[in-house]
Amino acid sequence: MSETRLSSSETHGVPGKKRYAMVIDLRRCIGCDACMVACKAEFDVPLGVFRTWVPYKVVGTYPNVRKHFMPRLCNHCEDPPCVRACPVGATYVVEDGGFVLQHYDRCIGCKACMASCPYNARFMLPKSRTYTDITSVVDKCTFCHHRVTQGLSPACVQTCIGRARIFGDINDPASEVSRLVSTLPTQVLRPEEGTKPHVFYIGLDRNTSEFGREVYSRPEVLEEDRQAFNKNHQA
Amino acid sequence: MGDFNIFHHMPWSSAYSIYFFTIGISAALFFMSALSWYREEFRTLRSSAFYLSFVLLVVSGLLLIGDLSKPARFLNTVNPAYLNFSSPLAWGALNLLSFGAVSVAYFFMMRKGNEAMSRKLAVLGSLLALGLPIYTGFDLTVHQNRPVWNTPLMPILFVALSLVSGAAVASFLAGKQEKLLVMLRQIMLWSGGAVAAMLISLLGTTAYGGTGEELTFMFMTSGTLGAIFIGVGILLGTAAPILLLLAPFGRQQGGVMLAALLLLVGGMALRYSILIGGQIVQTYF
Ligand code: SF4
Ligand code: SF4
Repeated sequence: MSETRLSSSETHGVPGKKRYAMVIDLRRCIGCDACMVACKAEFDVPLGVFRTWVPYKVVGTYPNVRKHFMPRLCNHCEDPPCVRACPVGATYVVEDGGFVLQHYDRCIGCKACMASCPYNARFMLPKSRTYTDITSVVDKCTFCHHRVTQGLSPACVQTCIGRARIFGDINDPASEVSRLVSTLPTQVLRPEEGTKPHVFYIGLDRNTSEFGREVYSRPEVLEEDRQAFNKNHQA
Repeated sequence: MGDFNIFHHMPWSSAYSIYFFTIGISAALFFMSALSWYREEFRTLRSSAFYLSFVLLVVSGLLLIGDLSKPARFLNTVNPAYLNFSSPLAWGALNLLSFGAVSVAYFFMMRKGNEAMSRKLAVLGSLLALGLPIYTGFDLTVHQNRPVWNTPLMPILFVALSLVSGAAVASFLAGKQEKLLVMLRQIMLWSGGAVAAMLISLLGTTAYGGTGEELTFMFMTSGTLGAIFIGVGILLGTAAPILLLLAPFGRQQGGVMLAALLLLVGGMALRYSILIGGQIVQTYF
């Protein structure tokens, strides 16, 4: 990760400030999707859109194959392009902690933030929802800001059966995330985008995390899947 | 394979490309009307080009507002307490509004026959009009993760596209004005040539880029999008009209109008495919 500080809101390594981060240990993820469910329950996330999701890829050649799970969420980037893209300041950084959050009452729904996020972490909420009246604005993972500020861990972290998700203040040298990031090789997604993501992966293989050529010559069944998905899950 | 992924949607729908098209034409038509104060050939376009520019500005504004998921909040974009100047959209909103205001003032000064003021407003309006394609280009180019969009060419390409499409529309308003048609033919040729040159660089850098760029190149040069981008946008809508304008028939009114029609179709196809092309690959990540 680059050490250059570009944005004024960067708090990684700033004394006296918290900087929350998540470590995802891919060696421990079993792909049970409990985190996706916990997140859906915590935030009443509508059908077809996700604050966190667990895609998988089958890698290797028979008989040496395995499913490579890669839990995904907003990376609460230190230099977030979504924040600079928003014309009305509806997406912003909470300096103490580094959370990237939304002002739902301010968002005009121009989707510039969605276009600018290199990680597809943002989505548009549907026009009507049963239990929540926040509609037709952009939403995303909040690192469970409401729980973390109460001393709880994020819902996905709390529920993870394999302890694959670890959360904490990376500015605190005694925290588990600090120890893991300091002592193990970790990777962030697309470091070349200059976003300085704060979700660190252990065991991430760049060969499987990026889209490969199969995106172009994908099997027909995948395209049918995609069409069915789009049809059933129009947000 | 047998992979599982969440299929993400493209944030910006094709409606934006219609907006790019109409706002580009509106800007260029204002420029033609403004030119009429300084070049006699454009005199006949003074009111007609301005009126059409204004109608298209209103249509573009409505398109833009209609595409927001919270249309009633569009005024947030000019709320000084909210404005975020690191976003090209914020600059765009201010540019659009000030262009609208100058257009209205220009209209009244023209009606009053106040030549001195009209001339000044024509220059000011033209500068603001130039800002419109530039900001739409920046809208795309600032997204560093998007192939095709993230190139310094985008703002300049949009200015050239705006001039081509605007001159094409103006040639329908020009009637049989020989001198004006000669000027419009020149504008179409030069800006069309600039578009062609930029498209060649764009294709080259995209094809030789990283994985995302390469895949985007493949999507944009094959299948349906390939037909729209290469077939309609480049061959039928840029190369063919340039050749036509260079041919003897291209110096006659019929030839200019046929080339203008092709350039308009091409301009729309190019804007559409650039907008969509930059978003396809990302939906798989
Ligand atoms: S992952 Fe995307 S949404 Fe989250 S902070 Fe980074 S750019 Fe913004
Ligand atoms: S969709 Fe909302 S949060 Fe996103 S850039 Fe537009 S106004 Fe900002």
